[in-house]
Amino acid sequence: MTVSAVIFCAISFAILSYVARFGSAISDFAQRWLTGSTREERGVRLLREWLSPDQLESFDRTRSFVVVGCDSGRRYRISYGVQQNVYEIDQGGGEVTGLCFVPEGYLVAGDVMLSQKISLETNETATLKVARRFAARSGTNAGALISR
Amino acid sequence: MPTQIVMDANGDSRHSFDPADEIELLRAEDRFCELLKNGYTAASRNGSGSVTVTWTFDPAAEETLFYPRLVGG
Repeated sequence: MTVSAVIFCAISFAILSYVARFGSAISDFAQRWLTGSTREERGVRLLREWLSPDQLESFDRTRSFVVVGCDSGRRYRISYGVQQNVYEIDQGGGEVTGLCFVPEGYLVAGDVMLSQKISLETNETATLKVARRFAARSGTNAGALISR
Repeated sequence: MPTQIVMDANGDSRHSFDPADEIELLRAEDRFCELLKNGYTAASRNGSGSVTVTWTFDPAAEETLFYPRLVGG
């Protein structure tokens, strides 16, 4: 391969990388312009549309809300985030244990939280079978994974 | 107009359809079946805001939300 060919390839690669980055920026801009929001904001908007009035009031105040499991009646707090953001809570609101389960693929926080809410409210038993448990934050082994 | 909302990497995609239009209705039913086949869960809301999971296509549902299969984190 000649030197000129190598230079040509390098320049082409640089141009393509620039175009890809520029295209992504344009896409983000177009999305924001068309929808008036980023994907994170759209996720939160969708979540807010599907929360009950009590949950919505709590979410707007604390960025978290409580759901009641459809099978056991246990209560769970779902906080803003995409992982390790669900805790079973006791009557006083204290964390009993953490539950880690998420929808497949890369979803924004609002979507993840909405999936977690619906699954606990409509199919709690199956959801708990999937979830990995971890110690509550107030525990001595906060954040450590424990057995299912 | 009934809307199917599919969670995806961009937040969500929305597909509205006219239930009186046979082609749009078929397309919406195909989308419903295809998403469930791919592991999505379909949920709809009633007027009071309570959410139910549904396994059959309901052309009268005002909003149907689809989210991907749940996995342990």
